Amino acid sequence: MVSVPSPSHGAHSATPAEQPPTPVKLVIAGGFGVGKTTAVGSISDIRPLTTEAAITEVAAGVDDLTHTPGKSTTTVAMDFGCLTIDPTLKLYLFGTPGQDRFGFMWDDLVEGALGGLVIVDTRRLDDCYAAVDYFEHKNIPFAVAVNAFDGEVGDDLDEVRWTLDISEHVPLIVFDARRTGSVRDALLVVLDVALSRAEAAAAT
Amino acid sequence: MAVGGPAPHDAAGEAEGSAEPAGRARSIRPFLLTAGRVSGRGTAPPIPIETQVVSTSTGLSVLRTLTFEHHDIIAACRRPQSVAELAAQLRLHLNVVRVLAEDLCAAGHLAVHRPNAGTAQDLSVLRRVIDGLRAVPESRGTLRDSG
Repeated sequence: MVSVPSPSHGAHSATPAEQPPTPVKLVIAGGFGVGKTTAVGSISDIRPLTTEAAITEVAAGVDDLTHTPGKSTTTVAMDFGCLTIDPTLKLYLFGTPGQDRFGFMWDDLVEGALGGLVIVDTRRLDDCYAAVDYFEHKNIPFAVAVNAFDGEVGDDLDEVRWTLDISEHVPLIVFDARRTGSVRDALLVVLDVALSRAEAAAAT
Repeated sequence: MAVGGPAPHDAAGEAEGSAEPAGRARSIRPFLLTAGRVSGRGTAPPIPIETQVVSTSTGLSVLRTLTFEHHDIIAACRRPQSVAELAAQLRLHLNVVRVLAEDLCAAGHLAVHRPNAGTAQDLSVLRRVIDGLRAVPESRGTLRDSG
């Protein structure tokens, strides 16, 4: 096995035609049909792309990620898009698969992410427990966004927060996955969490 | 000759809202292309999905001698892109692309730019992303109809 140096420029030190941008990523999580792909498509520079990715699925839930019985790897479709911030910085948005009540582990996808947005459909709150748990366990900056289908939110936000057992410090917002500005603002909430956390870390 | 790693069944039918045919990966056994190897089995962790890859001039100069997926990858990477985009474009399993990218990198045909581990906590990067997002207009107009 050849290990890949970081960054590697190939054995012949050939100069690539273009210097690639620094890639950063946000993860969009949530249950099946909750609007992940719609949200990605609303803000992406490109139509959302799909790739097949292998994720490790945990049949027993994610209460204890360090002792996970019954792990199995499954292949799922993952939708993603991107946003060119400037020629040297490109933001990727990965809609993570995990569309059922099984727990799931996306270490592979989430490693190095700036943060995560958990999209919630108030009619099916169960579908997003796993994602909320995951980000909390992994200590990844995240926010929870209720997708306002048809402009309506079934429950009030306090009730959603209580039902999902979301900590006080986790932002909970309402947004519309179909609207660019709304998705932009939701992602900015996530990045605010990430920035304050990074600032606090830098101050110590 | 055990074919290690994930044996991808054709599970693409669950894709959320992605009816576009463009998204579908081929249903041939993808890891035949990598002789059963999976990414990240050695000392190095697998290449992150956002890793940028770009063909080297060496790779482009030998492009005509390359075949199949190797050829397609080097041809596609004239412009830098992420392994995720590359996998989507070539309709290959993400982990297959990771293995092939590492092979092509070892051969000097492809430059693989692993992201720096500290980027997610980098204050200046975070601020630039925030500023960039703030500049996104309220509506994108005609880009697409709906998801």
